[in-house]
Amino acid sequence: MKELSLNILDIANNSVKAKASKIEICVTESKKDDFVSVDIADNGCGMDEQMLLRVIDPFVTTRTTRKVGLGIPLLRQQAIDTDGHFDISSKPSKGTKVHADFRLTHLDRPPIGDIASTVVSLIFASPDIRYIYKHKTDSGSFMLDTDQVKEQLGDIPLNEPEVITWLTEYINENLQCIEGGKI
Amino acid sequence: MKVSELCKAAGFTLVTDKQDNDREIGGVYACDLLSWVIGRAAQDAVLVTVMTNVNVIAVAVMADLSCVVLCEGVSLDSAALQKANENGVAVLSSDKPVYETCLLINKVMCNK
Repeated sequence: MKELSLNILDIANNSVKAKASKIEICVTESKKDDFVSVDIADNGCGMDEQMLLRVIDPFVTTRTTRKVGLGIPLLRQQAIDTDGHFDISSKPSKGTKVHADFRLTHLDRPPIGDIASTVVSLIFASPDIRYIYKHKTDSGSFMLDTDQVKEQLGDIPLNEPEVITWLTEYINENLQCIEGGKI
Repeated sequence: MKVSELCKAAGFTLVTDKQDNDREIGGVYACDLLSWVIGRAAQDAVLVTVMTNVNVIAVAVMADLSCVVLCEGVSLDSAALQKANENGVAVLSSDKPVYETCLLINKVMCNK
């Protein structure tokens, strides 16, 4: 895809479809070690080995209605094409973990895109899901846990427009502090 | 114009087995970002690309494209070639870059 944020959106949407109540998104960017990685883990319905092979293979389900799009095969390809790695593991009724990393300075590595808007749009679409978003760089890290935000908000819903605006600003400010999200 | 006619008129090489080459071409779409191709390339279009992995064939099947033209003499990897034959996706090869390949396709389609 054009931006890594769109890949994150796509993979996290699979987690939503898998009825996850908790989704962890971790982005690590390191100029020092020349890589960017994306990890998405959920506690959704998970997959057995047979289903896992189906989502990696772009063909098996193309003739029938695909439950999962080509997002996983395309992300895997982009990681491999940019000297990175891809890994997916899953356990039925436990959840699924997706890992992709890319060589930061590879010319074909997609830019990260608007990560704050991506995370916030996920929260906005499914405010009942607990989202834990971590972002690490060479200069530091920060974390957003929607359960903690909910605690502070009390009765105010998470997808209230003002809360959404605040969340976007909060993420962008924190990214700025750790010099992240600009690659 | 049929895929087999395009192949002959443009001097492309047919990479896949001789199947589905009578399919009618309905346009041309050039792009290497496969997620971009899905949903944008019209049905029956020729996909002009330098990508050679198995996902190119999957996209051709999903978007119901008439054939794929690989540019600059790149070759399909073995998994992609196998899938192309299994799924009846015709793959042609051009030794020219993407732009020149598109111009050539345009020329032969206009002369038809």
